[in-house]
Amino acid sequence: MAENWKKSIAEASCVRKAVLDNGLTVLVREMPGFDGVHAVYSTKFGSIDRAFELDGRRWDLPAGIAHFLEHKMFENEDGDAFALYAKTGANANAYTGFDRTSYVFTATSRVPENLDILLSFVSRPYFTKETIEKEQGIIGQEIKMYDDSPEWRLVFGIYQNLYQNHGIGEDIAGSTQSIAEITPEMLYACTDAFYRPQNMVLAVAGNVTLEMVLDACARADVPSRTAPVKRLVCEEPAGVKTHESEIRMAVAKPLVGLGFKETPIAETDIRAALICDILPELVCGGTTPLYRRLYDEGLISPDFSGEALSVAGATCILFGGETPEPEKVRDMLLEEIARLRREGIDRELFRLCKNAMYGDLVRGLENIEESASGMASMFFRGCTVEDEAAALAALRPEDVEEALRTMLLEEHASTVIIRPV
Amino acid sequence: MMNRTTIAPGVSLTTVEADKFNTCRVSIYFVRPAKRETATADALLPIVMERGYADCPDMTELSKRLSRLYGASLRVDTFKVGANRVLSVSVTGIKDKFALEGELLTAEYAKIALGTAFTPYLPNGMFDPECVAIEKQQLRELLEGEINEKRTYCIRQAKRKFFEGMPEGIEANGYLDELDSVDEKTLTEAFREMIRSSRIEVFALGAEADVVRAQVLAALADTKRAPAHLAPINAPAPCREKSFTQNIDAVQGKLCMLFTYGGPVAEEDAAAVRVAAALLGGTATSRLFVNVREKQSLCYYCAAAFQLVAPHLCIDSGVEPQNAARAKAAILHELEALREGPISDQELSETKRTLLSALGSVGDSLHSMETWCFHEIMRGTEKEPADLMHEIALVTADDVHRVLGRLSLSVTYLLTKGAQENG
Repeated sequence: MAENWKKSIAEASCVRKAVLDNGLTVLVREMPGFDGVHAVYSTKFGSIDRAFELDGRRWDLPAGIAHFLEHKMFENEDGDAFALYAKTGANANAYTGFDRTSYVFTATSRVPENLDILLSFVSRPYFTKETIEKEQGIIGQEIKMYDDSPEWRLVFGIYQNLYQNHGIGEDIAGSTQSIAEITPEMLYACTDAFYRPQNMVLAVAGNVTLEMVLDACARADVPSRTAPVKRLVCEEPAGVKTHESEIRMAVAKPLVGLGFKETPIAETDIRAALICDILPELVCGGTTPLYRRLYDEGLISPDFSGEALSVAGATCILFGGETPEPEKVRDMLLEEIARLRREGIDRELFRLCKNAMYGDLVRGLENIEESASGMASMFFRGCTVEDEAAALAALRPEDVEEALRTMLLEEHASTVIIRPV
Repeated sequence: MMNRTTIAPGVSLTTVEADKFNTCRVSIYFVRPAKRETATADALLPIVMERGYADCPDMTELSKRLSRLYGASLRVDTFKVGANRVLSVSVTGIKDKFALEGELLTAEYAKIALGTAFTPYLPNGMFDPECVAIEKQQLRELLEGEINEKRTYCIRQAKRKFFEGMPEGIEANGYLDELDSVDEKTLTEAFREMIRSSRIEVFALGAEADVVRAQVLAALADTKRAPAHLAPINAPAPCREKSFTQNIDAVQGKLCMLFTYGGPVAEEDAAAVRVAAALLGGTATSRLFVNVREKQSLCYYCAAAFQLVAPHLCIDSGVEPQNAARAKAAILHELEALREGPISDQELSETKRTLLSALGSVGDSLHSMETWCFHEIMRGTEKEPADLMHEIALVTADDVHRVLGRLSLSVTYLLTKGAQENG
């Protein structure tokens, strides 16, 4: 019987892979019966990349430049990519995260043309002083929109409290002041350094074949870039910057966020990443006694949750949500973590959490968007879905108990409270 | 795509072929005309029902049962479709072939969905008072916290003014000042009335239809039912524009403009209104996106969407407080230019292509297939996405002009910093 699920997972997660001469990795999941195609073209360059050397020259970047670049990559001297996607009917978008930037489209027809647009725009940067100034206004508006989101402010408030030098403490979009420092030269240096095929992955899922994608890559003929690049990383001390902070804004009810700064884990360490993911579930997931107590006492709403974040040089675990009594909820979380450390992990809860994580993994394989973005993520982490399923199957409660000795420590915690004005 | 059969008076079962998916889904929709007097109890009902049911009354035990089924999800929601209220119960989970120990998962999903929908936990014949009290507090906080999401809040405030006095305006989430009067007795009455008077739409996507059918019929075997006729589609009559400004401590302002269609959309115009809304503000090359956002930098977002079930056009945008008046003028200018001016063949064909591409992928997710089928059933049309795609291909610029010509601005709602509330 055990072989059945392995066979099903292997079939559902089947990826065809090619590495081109220019260094670009192409991953394709052919999904019979699906009409749509989702393509993700990602570079390992995000908001935390703030300094690098290219061909011996040092570049220090203002906060928000990766996100700014994402906006500008939709333009070249012939116009903007949206106008070309409009001709094919594709739905296109782009996202910037802490450690990567992704350009995507979803389409049900004219896939070769859409791949051509995607590859040509992201491979052929075009920036002028005028187009940069115009974008500064638009992004300024975007930054302000996030300023009004309590969840966003809470999460970034925790990052800022936890990290002293790491770029995770800066808003992904930067600030109106920081993006004003961006010049065309900086943007070209970033694309030369990070938008090179060796640093990128093209992941496509749905009604598509590897051959179709490789043909598009051949037409795009993206050259490799060879000038040496070195990422420059700021030293980050182990301690947190501050243990507490408070924000006042227009919210109906207070919010509390409790974050823990952990020892950074290697991107390829699947087991450590799974431990980070399962820990918040074991502390206050929907099946835990703490969640039930908090809920029944009216101290949290159903969306109160915990999550882990791990990028190069930073790993942290956050808990948060709305509550009428922020300090009380924080104290109860800390008490529960101490109890788990003292008494150990409930074996039944551990098994249920593992089951749910396995279900998430399976669900992520049936959707073209999640399939393509999942393949890109796995590529940057150097693993496959089958690796993750195997690591999950092998995870034991003792592993988590061992990790808890050095994780979720109060001395590495910080609290952010948002109160109504 | 869909196969719908009547299995009892006012009860239909729709099955959708779903072999390509790794998950399956069972859903039950209860639909009936929304009632103002029971709106708050009707809003509380799904929150209490989601906690547990007769065979698994405890909330934590239910969470554990779902986790054991590899994180199957149970959602109980309520929402409005025009003047009708819908309560939906859905369970989605992975297919049996992925079960680590060969368990039969699909039958369990149906049991949980149908148990939640038809046999709630009613100790002493009523909902548990303690659970009701806890969930009342959750609903209270949901209602009080509405302002946290400024974009949604602005649209809701605009719609409150737009649908004032109409059943379409009955609040899906109920009323804060009436929450105290809801108790286990009124909630149980609301549940019984829902079972008695609703039209019931059951969906089995990738789940065994025969099992679901048998379980539904068994659940209803001893129930007296009198399904109500659903409320017809209606839109507010055109009126002089009403303008409202609300002061809020936020960095960015929000502007929502609602235009009434004046009445139901004729079926032959349903494709045209979709094309018109997309041309105006539904794509990244739409008039509002290109001219108001990109060229004039007046908003960060500026989108238009058409609602067919309570026919109106909603344009909402994020604006700098000092730019709100200019943004509004620019939006009205674009609407007027689209309504009266030329639409190039290229613009029309590209917009249609974007809509066709989106419709072409409806069949790529269980949720989108179910949503499509449900809304088609609600409209009484039961079209496949391919039918609409064909109709969209035939829409002309004259059709767009004609349907836009029926729109008139009824409500403008501005959420902004530093202004006085007025209306």
